[in-house]
Amino acid sequence: MPAPAPAVELRGVGKTFRTGAEPLTVLEPLDLTLAPGSVTALVGPSGCGKSTLLRIVAGLEEPDEGGVVGIGGDDPLTVRRRGELAIAFQDPSLLPWRTAASNVALASKLAGRPVDVTRVRELLAMVGLAGFEDARPAELSGGMRQRAAIARCLITEPRLLLLDEPFGAVDELTRRRLNIELPPLWSGATTTTLLVTHSVPEAVLLADRVLVMSPRPGSIVADLDVDIPRPRRMEHLHTRRFGALVDEIGVLLGVDQFIGGQD
Amino acid sequence: MRGLRVALGWALVIGLWEWLGRTLLAGTHLIGVPSGIVVKIVENAELYGRALWFTTREAGLGYLYGNLAAVLLALVVVLLPGLERMVLRLALVVYCLPLVALGPLLRLVYGFGDGPQITLAALAVFYLTLVPLLVGLRALPRSWLDLTATYGRGRWTTFVVVRARAALPYLMAGLQATVPAAFLGALVGEFTGAERGLGVLSILAMRSLDTDGLWGLMLLSALVSLAGYLVVAGVARRVTPEQPSVLLAPPSSGRARAGWGRRLRAVAAVVLTAAMVVGAWYGLFALLGLDPYFAKRPHDVWAWLVTSPDAAANLGELLGAAGETAAVALPGYFAGLAMGVVLAAAFTLSEPVRRALTPVAVALRCVPIIAIAPLLVGALGRGAFGTAVVVAIMTFFPTLVSCLYGLRQLPGQVADVFATYATPSTTVLTLGRLPAMAPAFFAAARIAAPTAVLAATVAEWLATGTGLGNMMAVAAATSRYTSLWATVVVVTLIALVA
Repeated sequence: MPAPAPAVELRGVGKTFRTGAEPLTVLEPLDLTLAPGSVTALVGPSGCGKSTLLRIVAGLEEPDEGGVVGIGGDDPLTVRRRGELAIAFQDPSLLPWRTAASNVALASKLAGRPVDVTRVRELLAMVGLAGFEDARPAELSGGMRQRAAIARCLITEPRLLLLDEPFGAVDELTRRRLNIELPPLWSGATTTTLLVTHSVPEAVLLADRVLVMSPRPGSIVADLDVDIPRPRRMEHLHTRRFGALVDEIGVLLGVDQFIGGQD
Repeated sequence: MRGLRVALGWALVIGLWEWLGRTLLAGTHLIGVPSGIVVKIVENAELYGRALWFTTREAGLGYLYGNLAAVLLALVVVLLPGLERMVLRLALVVYCLPLVALGPLLRLVYGFGDGPQITLAALAVFYLTLVPLLVGLRALPRSWLDLTATYGRGRWTTFVVVRARAALPYLMAGLQATVPAAFLGALVGEFTGAERGLGVLSILAMRSLDTDGLWGLMLLSALVSLAGYLVVAGVARRVTPEQPSVLLAPPSSGRARAGWGRRLRAVAAVVLTAAMVVGAWYGLFALLGLDPYFAKRPHDVWAWLVTSPDAAANLGELLGAAGETAAVALPGYFAGLAMGVVLAAAFTLSEPVRRALTPVAVALRCVPIIAIAPLLVGALGRGAFGTAVVVAIMTFFPTLVSCLYGLRQLPGQVADVFATYATPSTTVLTLGRLPAMAPAFFAAARIAAPTAVLAATVAEWLATGTGLGNMMAVAAATSRYTSLWATVVVVTLIALVA
């Protein structure tokens, strides 16, 4: 039996911005293959091109070199049009004139699928927004908006979920709660996740595999497996293994990055 | 209690006005007195009512067509972004056309009726809706656009799902701002030759020194325009509760950085625009089959200005008139800008001043200020001073409104930093608010330039007998159509360059 196609396969992807006076190389050409159902975290200093890499996978940015060979063995554009790929940004980017429910339903529409109202309500309840279906984004807290954005990602049951600092703009306590509550909703055999984050503990808590990137121009300098059993819980934050992994990545990034937080 | 105080205040103002008009200023034709105005309106209720209906109808139809054109043009630009710069340049050329000269020319095209007034109203409207609408269609967070792009959807879906709705508050702002502009267009059309309407009656009143009648007519057009503005504002509040975040972004002409490539491209763009204007000129006239006797083509104008035996004299006459206009319009324009800034600053420094004058400023934004041109000319005489005042007032109000907006652009946290050091409000003004206001001020100065030209030419047409406005009036009256067209070209160029 042939091995299943990789969930994502990038070959020789590089990016250089030529808008300024001097060309700015953001990404050195790199290869990347993600196994189906895996959760991978990209960590690295600010400006190392990790978000650019994510945007290239999402089809939001064109690489100068190389390209996305396939997503689950299929053509990337086809996958996107079917709604089998979803991305959550640091900014929840909900449309302010739509209610929480209709923001979630929008993803179904964009994927060309019928809107399943019952499923929308279910999903909102699962992310902890039961009773807020008809609230507009302005009436929700930052954490609640991010929950709605995650629900919007999940409504199409994507094969590939991309998370770009999804909890970067919420306070530390909310961030911890979201980190524990939300991942079980998508971590399963059918969804592959690629996560970009500044926070090393967050990366270790969520991922099976952590890729450490160098400062600009970005390249992958380390590839670590996270051998902490699932489901992950708050207690794991205080285990020796967790601390050791966080330390190891911290050393790879340099001490100032180890402190983590925002740029 | 508060209502009583306001009512008392109004009674005081009106009483003072009446007293001034009857004693100190009696016989000067400077101001109408309230009682006289009311009597005039009641006496002539039928005549004024009919005129009001005509003018409102013209303004309404022009408003409809102009805004429709703006929306369609914005759609084209959004779906074909490559066309944007060209469309905006042509739109600016059209906006800078001197309405005063177009009035009589359109009259020849349309014959009798209200065609010219409607067209002028539409022309006065469409650019003012187009610019904020385009800002609204583009001023979006990138992540909203990423949302549709992630699912591999194209421009059309992005437009339907995101842009159209996001631009709605901007469209509404445009629709509000253009209510008085539509009245302005219709009134200019009536000033420059129509059979009926408020503009016609106010010219008659101006000529017969009927000051009360003039004030009454002005009041009526202001009230109707204000009512229209309030109706649109009410609809806007219903449709979109949110306010547009950036209103006064000037149409970007690209930051000019020195460099031959850029300069060359800028020159090429100007040449291309000129070529398109000339082409459209020929094409449109041929299409409409206009009589070359009055519908002069570009080569006629070129001959009149450059190649004919009288070209030098013609050019001299034109430049002389332009000089006369500039001598009046420039001081008025700068005085208007300065007054706008100073008053806006006074608003932010003094709470009582702000509270007293804000309703006035708001009211004046919804009123077609051109309606007071005959009034000022009547009051201040036919000299250059009256014209300069008209220009200054026409420049002043838009400047005040956008400067007030600009002064509020100081971010709240920066204001808090100043407050932490107990900075006096004058220092906050000079170090924080005025610099924050600069972009809005320059945007206003640019938008006010064509308005100033319009104001100067209207006042000259109506009264002074000098300058480009008068030259256009004389040319129209004596059927010197080539001279009229040449003036149109020159005035458009002046308004464009200014």
